[in-house]
Amino acid sequence: MAATGVAPNNIGFDFSNYARNEFLGARLGAQAKTTSTGTTIVGLKYGGGDSGDEEGICLGADTRATGGPIVADKNCEKIHYLTPHIRCCGAGTAADTEYVTNLISSNLELHSLSQGRQVRVVTAMTMLKQYLYRYQGHVGAYLVVGGVDSTGPQLFTVHAHGSTDKLPYVTMGSGSLAAMAVFESAYKEHLTKAEAIALVARAIRAGVFNDLGSGSNVDVSVITKAGTETLRNYETPNERGIKSRDYKFRRGTTAWLKENVRDLVVSEEVKVTMGAGKAQQGTTDRPVAVGAGPGGEEGMDLDA
Amino acid sequence: MDTLVAQLAPSRRGDEGSSSTAEWANNGYGNLDASGAVAGMDVPGVPDPLAFLSMHTDSMSTNPQAKIKLAHGTTTLAFRFKGGIIVAVDSRATAGSYIASGTVKKVIEINPYLLGTMAGGAADCQYWETYLGMQCRLHELRNKERISVAAASKILSNLVYQYKGMGLSMGTMICGWDKTGPALFYVDSDGQRLKGDLFSVGSGSTFAYGVLDQGYKWDLSDEEAQELGRRSIVAAGHRDAYSGNTVNLFHVRENGWEFIKNYDLSELWYEYEEKKKADLAAASAAAAGGVPIDVE
Amino acid sequence: MSIQEYNGGSVVAMVGKDCVAIACDLRLGNQATGIAMNFEKVFPVNDTLYYGLPGLATDVYTLREQLRFRVNMYRMKEEREITPETFTHLLSSTLYEKRFGPYFLEPVIAGIAPPTAANPNPQPYVSTLDSIGCITTPKDFAVAGTATDKLYGAAEGLWEPDLEPEDLFETISQTLLNAVDRDALSGWGAIVHVITKDKVITRTLRSRMD
Repeated sequence: MAATGVAPNNIGFDFSNYARNEFLGARLGAQAKTTSTGTTIVGLKYGGGDSGDEEGICLGADTRATGGPIVADKNCEKIHYLTPHIRCCGAGTAADTEYVTNLISSNLELHSLSQGRQVRVVTAMTMLKQYLYRYQGHVGAYLVVGGVDSTGPQLFTVHAHGSTDKLPYVTMGSGSLAAMAVFESAYKEHLTKAEAIALVARAIRAGVFNDLGSGSNVDVSVITKAGTETLRNYETPNERGIKSRDYKFRRGTTAWLKENVRDLVVSEEVKVTMGAGKAQQGTTDRPVAVGAGPGGEEGMDLDA
Repeated sequence: MDTLVAQLAPSRRGDEGSSSTAEWANNGYGNLDASGAVAGMDVPGVPDPLAFLSMHTDSMSTNPQAKIKLAHGTTTLAFRFKGGIIVAVDSRATAGSYIASGTVKKVIEINPYLLGTMAGGAADCQYWETYLGMQCRLHELRNKERISVAAASKILSNLVYQYKGMGLSMGTMICGWDKTGPALFYVDSDGQRLKGDLFSVGSGSTFAYGVLDQGYKWDLSDEEAQELGRRSIVAAGHRDAYSGNTVNLFHVRENGWEFIKNYDLSELWYEYEEKKKADLAAASAAAAGGVPIDVE
Repeated sequence: MSIQEYNGGSVVAMVGKDCVAIACDLRLGNQATGIAMNFEKVFPVNDTLYYGLPGLATDVYTLREQLRFRVNMYRMKEEREITPETFTHLLSSTLYEKRFGPYFLEPVIAGIAPPTAANPNPQPYVSTLDSIGCITTPKDFAVAGTATDKLYGAAEGLWEPDLEPEDLFETISQTLLNAVDRDALSGWGAIVHVITKDKVITRTLRSRMD
């Protein structure tokens, strides 16, 4: 039970159930189903040249999480924080993207503290790929890493097996083909910031509407030397209609057999007794009548 | 105009060559030929139809991951006693863990003297027992007397045996009253045919047998027998995940079968629980206030 | 039949106006056979925080005890009650630790944090996790277990915002009851907890027993 100890000496994964689950899986068939981000995630470089805008990175993501054929979350966040100037879009196994970005974010913070400078995007990318390579694709995180550092705007993709790409515009996830179709037809160098955001949003929308694994809203993040702008739910093209009628049940509809009400309000009955507040032998405690006040019939005058 | 019609109208079977009116008149009866026999059942056009069905449907229970889930999971029972035959069934149909229906008729009324129960593939049972009804009627017309239950069940068992290994799935009880009195046969898609006094078929059968065996005797009164059938299905519907919803109760007597009633299984369960509690209270009251218990 | 469906069972949680509700069925099965009708899957963490663990029964006990240990450690170290948000993350990291040998559970959490100086008016909270700890925090309701699909259908139709505790009780009860009546592996009784700031109402429902 080292894992539950006060100071756990086992950091990292616990494989204690692995053999049991293989056995049960062989006997019963299917394995645990996990939430995955069907996902369209994209990123592009913009600005510089004669655009008039400062160079930067624009990242985008849809907000659907799925568990098999079920939409598990209609508005999840897939643009994860790494450092103040680096963000990371995640696709694949949802828990893995969450934990791998959290872990690397912590390590990057420690790294920047120890080095006394802002970390570079390549560092983040390298830490991610080395971690993922170690797990040979079993940690199912497919990432788009983007940010601005001392070397300028940087954009990478990282695959679960540990391979990486460095490109001016990238897409990932099940909706990557739909999104890439948009980028391939409309991307050019030196876009303005407004054009970049519009193109990223259009690419995500392509995923949202054409890929069944992606859906709901469009999240956008814009990173420049000046800082990061988070445009959560930048577009919401799938707003749920308002119900015209409700299905409120008449109270008493549900038949029940037993009831228990646990009152959480602690009610105290104050009893004032003879003699300096201590119960004395032979005297019976009696509550002070309302309005009797201190110095009443039997109570002591505490203000005296 | 006639040439135009001839060109465009769909050609009917038997139009060419020696036209046989009997043959095209049978078009509306599916795959039955002029004589009323099954002309031939389409089987998947693959080298091994059984393996094919087994891969894509869950009828063989060899592949629980199969995408096509056939409705099954059932409790059915029938038993012979001095007052005839009691037939009781549940009404649940499941596809995987999904309860597809709670109002399935699992007793097939073959004719006024014959009942068949349904377990396994719902479609297989329905189709072949309806077909059995046709054959029984033909027997009546040909022989001027009703078919015996033994003969009827044998038609079915011989028929399914021809399709052995091709994916049929049925476990059925053929119940009726003939010259020999009440008769009960178990027939399944393996080709097995058994004569007996008491059967239960389906995923909940073990639970039904439990109640049935402790309460069964030949000299049951009609009311006792009906109650035993009902109680057995309730026990099975309660314990078995794939049985439940309602109980359908039939009683076969000399002059044919009678549908007794449809009961909500859960409501019956609550009634039995109440009765258990009341009996217990009465027993303990009797023990306390009645004859003192000897302690030695 | 997967491992998560071996014992059967379902849990649902819903947000109301200044209240939350969490409910579960009471069936414990061995595949098709029902074994027990008193298997509760919802447990209290503290006065106003409950969580449900539908899934493999052996893991229900293991994880419940593991969490009891960790919450008690938290309470002793911090000298305060754990909030629903913190508890969700505690549960998440407990599950992710077993990323490559997971518990076959899909927890559902429902609660209201105790009011503090920093957060004098805490809001009702529900969340769910998958078996390896991915958190989802819906604004309306959370479902899990063998009746997940059916619960989603019922809840999407019946839930509405700002239900008072008594109305929320009806909505969550009808959602659960009607969903488990379409699931062969859930049912056999149900229990509902409605949590408000100053009381917890627990009711055992009359449900179908087949």
